[in-house]
Amino acid sequence: MDRPAPLKVVVLGGGTAGWMTAASLAKLLPDRASVDLIESEDIGIIGVGEATLPHIRGFVERLGIREAEFMKATHATYKLGIDFRDFGRIGESYIHPFGSFGEELAGVGFHHYWLELQRRGQAAPLGEYSLCVAAALANRFQPPSRDLSLSSTYGYAYQFDATLFGPFMREFGQSVGVTRHEGLVTNVERNGDTGDVTALVLKDGRRIEGDLFVDCSGFRSLLLGQELGEEWEDWSHWLPCDRAAAMPCTHATEDIRPYTTATAMPAGWRWQIPLQHRMGNGYVFSSAFLDEETACEAIRDAAEGEPLADPRVLRFRPGRRRRSWSHNVVGVGLASGFLEPLESTSIYLAQMAITYLIELFPEAGGIEPADRDAFNRLVDMEYDRVRDFLILHYHATTRDDSEFWNHVRTMRVPDSLSDKLQLWRETGRIEKYSDGLFFDASWIAVYVGQGWLPQRHDSRTGMVDPERLKAAADRLRREIASEVSRMPGHREYLERETSRLAEAS
Amino acid sequence: MSEPREPLRRIVVAGSGQVALLSAIALRRALPTTEVVLLAVAPQGPAFADFAATSLPFTASLHDRLGIDEERMIATAGASHRLSTRYFGWSSHDQRGVFAHGGWTGRAMRARFGRDWGGGPKIAGGERPAGSLAEVLTDAGRFALPPADRETPLSLIEYALRWNPPAYRTLLVERARQLGIGHVQAPIETIERDGAGGITGLNIQGQGWLEADLFVDCSGPAAVLASALPGFATVDWSTSLPTRRVFIAAGAEPMIALEDRITLLDEGWLIEQAGRDGLLTILGVGEGTSEQAAIAALGKDPVAVMPVSPGSVAEPWQGNVIALGDASAQFEPLANLNLDLAHRQLDLLLEMLPGREIEPLERAEYNRRAGLMMDRTRDLLAFHYATPRARRVFGEVEVPEAVQTALDQFVRRGRMPFHEESALLREEEMDLLGALGFERQMSPQEGASDPEGIEAGEAEFAALARRALEAAPPYAEWIAAVTQPS
Ligand SMILES: Cc1cc2nc3c(=O)[nH]c(=O)nc-3n(C[C@H](O)[C@H](O)[C@H](O)COP(=O)(O)OP(=O)(O)OC[C@H]3O[C@@H](n4cnc5c(N)ncnc54)[C@H](O)[C@@H]3O)c2cc1C
Repeated sequence: MDRPAPLKVVVLGGGTAGWMTAASLAKLLPDRASVDLIESEDIGIIGVGEATLPHIRGFVERLGIREAEFMKATHATYKLGIDFRDFGRIGESYIHPFGSFGEELAGVGFHHYWLELQRRGQAAPLGEYSLCVAAALANRFQPPSRDLSLSSTYGYAYQFDATLFGPFMREFGQSVGVTRHEGLVTNVERNGDTGDVTALVLKDGRRIEGDLFVDCSGFRSLLLGQELGEEWEDWSHWLPCDRAAAMPCTHATEDIRPYTTATAMPAGWRWQIPLQHRMGNGYVFSSAFLDEETACEAIRDAAEGEPLADPRVLRFRPGRRRRSWSHNVVGVGLASGFLEPLESTSIYLAQMAITYLIELFPEAGGIEPADRDAFNRLVDMEYDRVRDFLILHYHATTRDDSEFWNHVRTMRVPDSLSDKLQLWRETGRIEKYSDGLFFDASWIAVYVGQGWLPQRHDSRTGMVDPERLKAAADRLRREIASEVSRMPGHREYLERETSRLAEAS
Repeated sequence: MSEPREPLRRIVVAGSGQVALLSAIALRRALPTTEVVLLAVAPQGPAFADFAATSLPFTASLHDRLGIDEERMIATAGASHRLSTRYFGWSSHDQRGVFAHGGWTGRAMRARFGRDWGGGPKIAGGERPAGSLAEVLTDAGRFALPPADRETPLSLIEYALRWNPPAYRTLLVERARQLGIGHVQAPIETIERDGAGGITGLNIQGQGWLEADLFVDCSGPAAVLASALPGFATVDWSTSLPTRRVFIAAGAEPMIALEDRITLLDEGWLIEQAGRDGLLTILGVGEGTSEQAAIAALGKDPVAVMPVSPGSVAEPWQGNVIALGDASAQFEPLANLNLDLAHRQLDLLLEMLPGREIEPLERAEYNRRAGLMMDRTRDLLAFHYATPRARRVFGEVEVPEAVQTALDQFVRRGRMPFHEESALLREEEMDLLGALGFERQMSPQEGASDPEGIEAGEAEFAALARRALEAAPPYAEWIAAVTQPS
């Protein structure tokens, strides 16, 4: 059988999204795609984006990359979740884990029983019923087991150096056949009839032709936004943060936390992401409520270790293109949309787009509009789910100590979210879906963590013998504590396998 | 501070069929302090429900949670196991295919199927190799319930049960009695509406006033309670589901088989459902087939003939009344979806059990999810009528948009868009389309799978299949052994 000639794919951009896309296409569709990638040192990459979600493991694995090798190259640490501080109320914190809380009993979710215990004054903080949370707070880590026991009730992700991840993927991409071009794209050629992009012209006159173009040019969105003018759906009225002041610094403690920390600030929040060799820091804020200089000062003051560089300000807009795939241009990464890094979702969203692009990769005959529509529907669904979940973090608060918090606390949220909030308020139930991101446990973690308790919970919790319920819950806590005590420390686990560690620099 | 919701004081379950009984049992177990009354409204003529004797694997897990013991079902209710369904003649006269519960086995196997049966040249009329463990076992006629205490290849098998409806009913009645479920058998004289979209109570002939916090309407197509409500509205499915009459015949000879068959004839579709009490044959025909022709195609005298007017209730939970089972959706008994839908709705109700005060948003969430279930059920049926030959037998019908999209994506791209709340796993949905004779392209990834990986996957599957066959006795022998009076 004659194989059709491979489709010529041109990836514009060599940041995280660009190299993830190029490497995946070259590795997973070797006969269907030939991949060229253009990147420009003059522009550079955004170079932040250090915290990930557990899905990244599947990505690394599918490309056939060994975890240890990858962790070593990117100075990666393990991540069990995010510690949210001061969001619901100053002085309170909770962990949103990559894991569950307790177990359902007689068809009723654990959190209903927890609410009942709480009412009786018998509940410990919800996190104590989650192995994932308990391990994180104890700075311990070990991979979950594969059986159905307690030690299988969590997942993990990585925290890595974004300036190293790109180059790692670049090296890998080139090893699987991606052709790299260094240069600045200054002109885009299009077919006069169809409007499709036909070639990208570099400043030095080189011309790179292609059948399919993947726009990974970052916030510039050179093809999808600038050239094709795909409409932008703006979400800044719900997510007012539009700046970040990023500043890496040294570790201030001996331990390495197996989690990311997000601490609410007067005009936004700041991240702390522990890597092997340093700590990532940054203040995500809203320019409507805070100027850049004050934000830089604030992050300097707040950072715990020694600064390794001056604060660098990044600007962004929350929202997404109405269509991420238009003509023969597919946007992946920041070129297609942006949701602030509160739940570390950007790299996931890029990965998700790549997965769908592979599933719907054009056939030799050309791009079918039905496939483009299918892609756009999937991408929209993913973005919209993340969006509502992010808004929840701001809205479910009692904070009234700044203009920023007053705004987000009182703003009108999307209907899709206000229904979820009300359902929770009245019944303690979570709207259920099984596609996309953030299921029950995530919503419960944030609701309860931010002090946003429902008014009522399932009536069936009142029918369990109180003594037995308490005893069962206490037993679970003891089992979790004992399981945690057997886990190695996070640093210890990293060091136990030297192949995971980068050479000290 | 969150308070537990005030429990329901009394629930009335209206209906006398198996869905009503199972619902009453489930609610009673979930709410030990709630009075559950079964109001056995008289059935209105023959209904499918009387013959409904099988469902999908989900029912096994529901039964398990409700304490309906599978071994007892085997011992006393004539239960037997179905691992797969063979489809004959749906895309063309001599086309055949297999739908296996649980779907395809492995990625590597799928890649080979993509190659041999999707993208590659079709081997006309040729036998295709078994695509799943279920199919291997079905072909060999071997199966046994896996031991509870250790994993064997049989633990990987998804199966559905078939049973004897009267015996199953007896088993449920006995269980309901043990649980102290009240029982009222008398006609409803009047239904008192509460002005908030629901019901305050019922006047029962000779019994007086019966009120409740929640009414579960399992009264079948008549939906005696739900249809009395102001918000009752239905959705017509008949534009996309052309079956109008169903003819049922029962055989007396026991038939022990791990498969059922669904054949498309020139007159309509014919289900042959094996069972320990005999073969049940069900013929479904459209407007164009005469009674005579139908009976000839059935090959026997029917024990029942029933009209079909497919459709669903727009919002099955109105006020404090929830329509379950045939009261919420009626459709032909093709692909074993009827009881499955009822059971999944019941499970959803258990998950979302309200308190005395019902919140509008929980009703909305229930209706959203139950609505997705019903829509997808209609879609799974509609796939059948979208096959080339069914379009000749039944005539052209409206193909729901989700079905058009799915068929396009399946045939051209080898993929199946995901649907929340489907009766089938995505793999099973693909398997069903394959069984109906839709030919799929290889997905881009399958096309790119390396030959070594595929070979390794095949070898692994072959080894697994061998172990499964070793672990499984001939099914008829196993049934004989476990049903022997000891
Ligand atoms: C403050 C902040 C924090 C973040 N934190 C996280 C996090 O914790 N977790 C997470 O998952 N994500 C995070 N993200 C998002 C993450 O950084 C990005 O999703 C990721 O880096 C992908 O970026 P990119 O590749 O799309 O764009 P970029 O890195 O901006 O890459 C753009 C590429 O396009 C090239 N280019 C542009 N124009 C031209 C041209 N004309 N010619 C040639 N080349 C061109 C550039 O040279 C560059 O190579 C964060 C983002 C921000 C702003």
